Amino acid sequence: MTEPLLDVRGLTTSFETGQGRLTAVDDISFQIEEGEVFGVVGESGSGKSVTALSVMRLLDDAGTVEADEVRFNGTDLLSVSESEMRSIRGGEISMIFQDPMTSLNPVMTIGEQIAEVVRHHGDVGERTGFWSEMRRKYVTGTSEGSRSWQRAVELLETVGIPEPEKRATEFPHQLSGGMRQRVVIAQALAGDPSLIIADEPTTALDVSIEAQILNEILELSDEFGISVLLITHDLGVVRETCDRVAVMYASEFMETGHVDDIFDDPHHPYTEGLLASIPRIADEREWLSVIEGTVPDLIDKPSGCPFRDRCDYAFELCDRPLVEYEIEGSALETHTVRCHRENEHVKVDDSGHIESVPDEAVAALERRIEAESAHDADGSVSPTADASARADGGSRPSPAADAENGGDHGEY
Amino acid sequence: MGLREYLLKRLVHSVFVMLFVVTVVFAAVRSIPGDPARLMLGGDVDTATLEALRAELGLNQPLYIQYFRWLRRLLTGDLGESIRTGEPVLGSIVQVAGPTLSIAALGMVIALVIAIPTGIISAVKRYEIEDYLSTTIAFFGISMPAFWIGIVLVLVIGVNVESIPTFGYTPIDEGIGPWFRSILLPSFAVGFPYGGILMRMMRSSMLEVLNEDYMRTARAKGLSSNLVLFKHGLQNALIPVVTLAGIFLAVVLGGVVAVEIVFGIRGLGRLLIGSINRRDFPLIQGTVLLIAFVFVLANIVVDLLYTMINPRIKYGGGD
Repeated sequence: MTEPLLDVRGLTTSFETGQGRLTAVDDISFQIEEGEVFGVVGESGSGKSVTALSVMRLLDDAGTVEADEVRFNGTDLLSVSESEMRSIRGGEISMIFQDPMTSLNPVMTIGEQIAEVVRHHGDVGERTGFWSEMRRKYVTGTSEGSRSWQRAVELLETVGIPEPEKRATEFPHQLSGGMRQRVVIAQALAGDPSLIIADEPTTALDVSIEAQILNEILELSDEFGISVLLITHDLGVVRETCDRVAVMYASEFMETGHVDDIFDDPHHPYTEGLLASIPRIADEREWLSVIEGTVPDLIDKPSGCPFRDRCDYAFELCDRPLVEYEIEGSALETHTVRCHRENEHVKVDDSGHIESVPDEAVAALERRIEAESAHDADGSVSPTADASARADGGSRPSPAADAENGGDHGEY
Repeated sequence: MGLREYLLKRLVHSVFVMLFVVTVVFAAVRSIPGDPARLMLGGDVDTATLEALRAELGLNQPLYIQYFRWLRRLLTGDLGESIRTGEPVLGSIVQVAGPTLSIAALGMVIALVIAIPTGIISAVKRYEIEDYLSTTIAFFGISMPAFWIGIVLVLVIGVNVESIPTFGYTPIDEGIGPWFRSILLPSFAVGFPYGGILMRMMRSSMLEVLNEDYMRTARAKGLSSNLVLFKHGLQNALIPVVTLAGIFLAVVLGGVVAVEIVFGIRGLGRLLIGSINRRDFPLIQGTVLLIAFVFVLANIVVDLLYTMINPRIKYGGGD
């Protein structure tokens, strides 16, 4: 099987704060295939943006990023030099940020903001040294006859901005919010990327513009064969746009799978809660359903399921470390859940509540946890790949487990 | 609105600002105790002589008549004559404006040259040794009055470096080198407090800019950290600094007055202080008017600069 475009395993990002260690991203793993749109959905503060910034190595010194692997197109992003990383940033991986009001530089023409990406990552033969750039910025201005400028104008046209020649000479404040986000998209395309990370690209926009911008991103990525990592808090957006999706809660991925599986057959109580809280036109409910309680404190986070305090189904295994369970019968893609309710020995009634927890369930879990920590100490196998080794025995192995463990699933 | 219209509007506006300033000064100098006629004639003088002089100087007129008489002459460009010497006020001011304006201008240059780079370094190396060092120096600059810095400079540099004079002023037509040396120390003395203020502003403004989303965007484009800082950050960080540089120009102008005394330079400051001591009303009004004019003019220049570096602002604010 071909290698995924982006392969992230065991990514953990933490920040040292005055109150203690804040774990913003906790041991997450995901793969993005070429041409795929992968969604990460979760409420604000769940660690979605930090995930993106960690992959791009754009966190400042305060953040510590650890991972078994962050491999992009065969390159280990965590070990390459900063200068190599710079050629990847904006080039092979580009980003679209949330608020086009603030993510564009207010004192630079939009033409130049796009053209500089072309100059730095494209093959236009224009000088990109510090003094060349400074002269261009403060003395001569960007030549409108230069190839990078012309490419910028083309890109503006590509993203559907009328009068691109004129617009290129304008400043961000002269454009509407939707137009600005199109400029940001043009900027993201300028380096000819194979992956675009879109961090809440429509959150700051009017709802009427939202669909246009999403379509623009999807059509262009489709046209140019670009994969998209779409970060959003909006399940509606996910359903419309993504191939696969990960549901993030309190810095962890709770459930990952094909978007149809997640929406039609959610297994994690948190995913269920999220789906139930979407208002529907045919709704006869007087009140929207809400998930009671609040997100746990991520500082010195205890082990075990972070959702257990808010979960209707919580039982005695929930304070044990989480492992990954694969759902059987997911025809489309691997569907994995981190919830002990999926332990095959645990008896669950029709309503999803726990009936009984036999001893063998605890024993099976303990063996999994022990095996993982052994591998962890060993350092040879990523914990998540190991976690994919089945506890619910006999189900389809995830590609990760296949590759890393030689298919030793079903041993329990 | 075009540049020409904008300038015209600003100049008309500044006429009113200056009018207001001189009106306040006119009222203020007359409300402090002390009568110029009595000061001129000395202690033992009979009332008749005193009244005669007061009548000659026009001081026996009601205040509003004195005010409008002075305004009327002002409109024809006539600042009047000194009560004490009878010489035209404008002439006395022009004679001594050279050193003051030289010191103020060089002081500003020194302040900007020091403040902007150190402010940037301080912001980038926040909480590191460079930051502590430059903020400490800036703190000294802000805390110490210009005249005191002047005295220290005289004691430390003037005494040890012979080529730098500590007293007097050499006009520019006697050579740029001697002129420059003669104003170097006083300029530094007035520039240092101003530089301290600007440095603190540059630092906080740059710190704010460093957290802006567009800086993250610039890094996400794969630009080097220097390009992110100087191409994307610098101009944005300068915007508030430029505005405040105009407002805090008063620190420089105020500093010059005191520093001239320290360095024995006959400039506007000395003229002003002397004229206040003698209650030389026309001379006080004329000098303050000129200082107000310099201040207003500098702020117009600053505003023009502001529209240059901030494309979001148009002349006059409208689109």
